[in-house]
Amino acid sequence: MKYYITLTLTLLIFCAVASGILAYVNSLTSPIIADRKAQEEIATRALLIPGAEFTEHKAKADTNFVYYVASKDSTVVGYTFIATGTGYAGPVKTMVGLDKDLKVITIKVTDQAETPGLGANCTKEDFPERFKGRAEAELMVDKDIGPTGIKSLTGATITTRAIANSIRGQILMLKADLDTAGETL
Amino acid sequence: MKDRIIVSAAPHLHDRTNIPMVMWNVVIALVPALVAAVWFWGWKSLWLTLLGAFSAVAAEALVQKFRKLPVSVADGSAFLTGMLLSYNISVGAPFWLPMVGSVFAIIIGKQVFGGLGNNPVNPALLGRAFLLASWPTLMTDKWVPALNRAVKDGHYALSGMNDLSLIAADSLQTAFPKVHALLTTSATPLKVAQTLRDTTWISSLSPDQVANKAVSLSVFENLFDLTTLKSLFAGNIGGCIGEVSVFALLLGAAWLIYKNIIDWRVPSFYIGTVFVIAFLFGGIPGSSYSIGLPFFHIFSGGLMLGAFFMATDYTTTPLTKKGRIIFGIGCGLLTMVIRLVGGYPEGVSYSILFMNVMTPLIDRLTMPRAFGEARK
Amino acid sequence: MSFIKELSKGIVKENPIFVIVLGMCPTLAVSTSVQNALGMGLAATFVLMCSNMIISLIKDITPEKIRIPIYIVVIAAFVTIVDMAMAAYVPDLHKSLGIFIPLIVVNCIILGRAEAFASKNNILNSLADAIGMGAGFTLSLTVVATIREILGNGTWLNIQVLPKTYQPMLVAILAPGAFITLGFLMALINLIKERR
Repeated sequence: MKYYITLTLTLLIFCAVASGILAYVNSLTSPIIADRKAQEEIATRALLIPGAEFTEHKAKADTNFVYYVASKDSTVVGYTFIATGTGYAGPVKTMVGLDKDLKVITIKVTDQAETPGLGANCTKEDFPERFKGRAEAELMVDKDIGPTGIKSLTGATITTRAIANSIRGQILMLKADLDTAGETL
Repeated sequence: MKDRIIVSAAPHLHDRTNIPMVMWNVVIALVPALVAAVWFWGWKSLWLTLLGAFSAVAAEALVQKFRKLPVSVADGSAFLTGMLLSYNISVGAPFWLPMVGSVFAIIIGKQVFGGLGNNPVNPALLGRAFLLASWPTLMTDKWVPALNRAVKDGHYALSGMNDLSLIAADSLQTAFPKVHALLTTSATPLKVAQTLRDTTWISSLSPDQVANKAVSLSVFENLFDLTTLKSLFAGNIGGCIGEVSVFALLLGAAWLIYKNIIDWRVPSFYIGTVFVIAFLFGGIPGSSYSIGLPFFHIFSGGLMLGAFFMATDYTTTPLTKKGRIIFGIGCGLLTMVIRLVGGYPEGVSYSILFMNVMTPLIDRLTMPRAFGEARK
Repeated sequence: MSFIKELSKGIVKENPIFVIVLGMCPTLAVSTSVQNALGMGLAATFVLMCSNMIISLIKDITPEKIRIPIYIVVIAAFVTIVDMAMAAYVPDLHKSLGIFIPLIVVNCIILGRAEAFASKNNILNSLADAIGMGAGFTLSLTVVATIREILGNGTWLNIQVLPKTYQPMLVAILAPGAFITLGFLMALINLIKERR
């Protein structure tokens, strides 16, 4: 009996020490990680719509939907938001920049775990080109609407479709919110 | 050499059947399909087929040299594998495609496991699966319309549809751009059927789309009217080199059954299962039932080629009669599951590969008991 | 002397991938590109070094009956530290390795070496063993990834090596390609061994 108590206590001590070390490392790194994420978001926003000021807005219908209004000299020049779709290997997050007519300026895939060499090619430089200038109705992949659609990545239609559809969905939400918000912007 | 003493139960019957005779007879039985391919698409289909076949022979000879084994390419099994592999690609494919596929089929599909008689799955189908995974666009987007067919706008000859549905399809442009794009670019009949089915699954239709759904349904129904079925039977449609002409394949199959080289059980139960499932579940919501529908399913895609020439391979199919029936039904079920609810328009090759892997289990299940052996 | 011996055995004679056949999950999953292979290899090597040393250090106070849970706690702690440190200081690499970092915990090379070597040897030899095994793992992973990335993407370490007209053999970077490549490499190593 005493032997088993010793075993339990030994394991407990090991776990406690390990947790202590982990807690310490976490306290060191988590602010850096959070900071870096925030910096990245700001940097990406600036990349999508250069030289604009961003103000945060929460959608009235669904407060989970956050978008940023970009303005230069107090006139609205565009919008950015994050669209999340389900790709081949989990969620794919894309930051999207729209002009004031809600057409895509450019996009940037910020978070994905797709197959390297196939779906992961959505982080390559030539990928956003396929989305540029498209309005909500044109954000469909070629496999769905034919040659006028977004050209799918080779072997990764699912990834391309997930990104296109998530952006389309968010634009619809943005549109709805802008319509209700009216002149308050 | 080492198997000179054969231990088996009486009675012992010998006939002149041997491996080269079987293999070359299957090659002969495949010739009508090749003639049909040359008729519809010109000489390129012949060159592709020969390239595939001779690449397979070369690969087999090289591997056997390397393994210091007697080179046995004259038995025709490698030639047959290469030929079947080439039958599984489209005429629009580049010349290197059947070569790469055949080399893969022979080396990875067959020689790695020890050569003839030891391969777990059909090497030609493994080669096809490899090509489909590696170069999906070359394998599925390169359908070529037949040479000598009156072609409307140079496009629609692939899907095998009649003019009425072509006119109907034009009106789909606004409501179902996806369907329209598919009909006007490149598609096999099965791909058209799959797309139309997908369209009707869309739950929320706009008023515009509801009006056009009827058109969609009529296009679907036209897939299995008599005109289309005739095209399908003759092979006047888009598809792989060896799969399009049902007539030519049946001619070859009849020869093999007459020569007692293949067992009638696997193909009949395979095709029969497809027929029944197509009859019961083949329609799309709202479409009328017609006896043409199951015929559409058994005439299209690679079913005839697969059922008679691939699902009857000696090494990779069950030995027992009961086992072959199970094998055929299993292939039919899987094919229809893939065709009707899967992501691919066609499922013959994957279903046969899957059942190949199941073969040892089926054999064990259906092994006849020795006389007097107790039932477990 | 024994330090050098323990160091070198992991690279060829007792190569963890091709000879001992450990750590197949990361080998198959991460070898899609050379960059990922190097990252995974180095991260695993670091964890292996730390865990081997600690386990060798505590081998006298580890009760026989609960040694496996203790090893796992030690390994998991180091993996989590590596995960957090990489997220904070090398976020790009962390992003591309993604899910595989937590998977180092279940990389059986690490537990295998803890059980088979570190729990029976002194710190210095355990460290040598870890470096050797880690190098062998990284090297093997890189070899597999080289073949797969060149065939499946036409690139090596993201540099285009095959002409642009080459149509990538996608299967090489899909799961079957991993199995086939690994099989051929093992066959090759067996062939070389036989010839000797």
